[in-house]
Amino acid sequence: MSLIHVNNLAKHFKVLNRREGLGGAFRDLFSGDYRTVKAVDGISFDIEAGEIVGYIGPNGAGKSTTIKMMTGILKPSGGEIRINDHVPFENRIRQAQIMGVVFGQRTQLWWDLPVIESFKILKEIYKVSQKTFDEHMGMFNELVGLKALYSQQVRTLSLGQRMLCDITASFLHNPQIVFLDEPTIGLDISIKAKIRTIIKELNTARKTTIILTTHDLGDVEALSHRVIIIDKGKKLYDGDTKKVNALFGAYRTLKVQVNDFDEGTLDALKNKLAEQFGATNKITVAQTEEFWTDITIDQALTPLSEVLNCVMTNFSILDVRIVEIAMEDVVQRIYDGALA
Amino acid sequence: MRSIGEYIRLYFIIEAQYIKARLQYRVDFIISSIGMFFSSLITLGVFWVIFDTVPDLAGWSLMEMAFIYAFYMIAISPMQIIFDHFWQLRFNLQQGNFLKYYFRPLNMMFYYTSEMFDLKGLTQLFVGTALLIYTASQLHVAWTFGRVGLLFITLFSAALVQISIVVLAACAAFWVLDSYPVLGLAWRLREFAPYPMSIFDGAFRFTFTYVLPIGFIAFYPSQIFLRPEEVSHLTYFSPVIGIGLFALTYWVWTKGVNSYTGTGS
Repeated sequence: MSLIHVNNLAKHFKVLNRREGLGGAFRDLFSGDYRTVKAVDGISFDIEAGEIVGYIGPNGAGKSTTIKMMTGILKPSGGEIRINDHVPFENRIRQAQIMGVVFGQRTQLWWDLPVIESFKILKEIYKVSQKTFDEHMGMFNELVGLKALYSQQVRTLSLGQRMLCDITASFLHNPQIVFLDEPTIGLDISIKAKIRTIIKELNTARKTTIILTTHDLGDVEALSHRVIIIDKGKKLYDGDTKKVNALFGAYRTLKVQVNDFDEGTLDALKNKLAEQFGATNKITVAQTEEFWTDITIDQALTPLSEVLNCVMTNFSILDVRIVEIAMEDVVQRIYDGALA
Repeated sequence: MRSIGEYIRLYFIIEAQYIKARLQYRVDFIISSIGMFFSSLITLGVFWVIFDTVPDLAGWSLMEMAFIYAFYMIAISPMQIIFDHFWQLRFNLQQGNFLKYYFRPLNMMFYYTSEMFDLKGLTQLFVGTALLIYTASQLHVAWTFGRVGLLFITLFSAALVQISIVVLAACAAFWVLDSYPVLGLAWRLREFAPYPMSIFDGAFRFTFTYVLPIGFIAFYPSQIFLRPEEVSHLTYFSPVIGIGLFALTYWVWTKGVNSYTGTGS
């Protein structure tokens, strides 16, 4: 029996079809015109104890709805979830005792209290024994130097420090499962790396199962062997992270600001790149935000420097940025058959 | 499941820390306590002005009115001191940070309530207690063991009525976008509580007795001590009303908690 068993899980929300304008708003008051939104639409997977699994997908894919059902907040509309052979929604308190949760932007520590007091309160809430408490606090201190933050009020911590506290706090009661939702969002590169190391160590220390939802493919790459990709409430991929990385790890998006951009610029760019690197190199050109043109490149096929060079010599460029491939692009490429 | 004893112990652990943290903002504490003290005095001042021109209010003297007011001050204090966090429920729900209350192995109403403790409300509790003792001695209330017991029971029930009315109104936020009009109205209602119900018209009196039972926050229970010979039978129902109303509130809260889906993350 696996630790987490999810079978054909579904969550449908009834949403009112809203009408336009003030008159419409009034008519909506008495309207019975609902449509069903399938936030999660038949997802199945099994997760074994001790695994770290990346659960990823673009905005609105149904990630947080799935997590809310696994943590016992939402009742599924269909299918089943069993964690430890129990249904989470049936007994929220029992479920809460065996799990830890970290929500990226929102701390669960006591805002006005010094860090150490939050940990002491958590000790009482979860009935952690003094021995386990001392052991864990010692471990957290070795990992992140928690002692230096003990006397600081949570409100005075930097985002990175707070995240370190929140993550370690979620492991204090030795949970079987920890849900980490966007643990690295808004953090700079160095602290991101630190947080990834700590998550990895906490996972190995107690064989804690970790479900990681993120936008950042880098998190998944660094942490998990297995990744589940979902979109529009359905599972697109469930398997080896290496395979996903091999495909997308080499992709970079070159964002350029072209001087005097007009309707012809996109085509001019496309033609120039096709002419230079051949038509089969999978380079895509698109405009995703105002002033910026995205050129996505597979570095395994075409060196980034050559593309940059080509663009710089043939066009008047104001600004350049290089970013990792966006989740939306990954999903689009999977639909196009990239992982098939 | 945790026992009541465990919850009480946990409550003291959390609140002790919370009070320690609040006391670090000394100026905030002192100024808000002084503010609370004077706002209590002002209402008493209004009574005094009224009674300067009229000898009594529907047969109730200044000292009796002051007793009812003292009872009222004590009865509304638990709402302000312990259940203060419910003022923010609508923001917590809108911004999605209410989700975190689902993640601890605790009763959710307990966890939510424990996150705030309003120190300045203690000033009101102290002023109310002092005033109650003073007015009772001026009115020659004969304190027997039974009476003191009744005082605690009626204060407890009255506090539950006040808590229920505000929490119930706060729970509207689970279903409507902006619950402030409901909450604000519920809080303003208490202003009718420290007056003899006999000064209100039939319809109002009916409402304040049977629909929104604010008469049970101060007036009806005070009668037991002021005019035992005139007490209406209704008064003895005040524990039933307090506990019943709170049970209803808890049921509505549970409904709301189960229907909340949160904001996207």
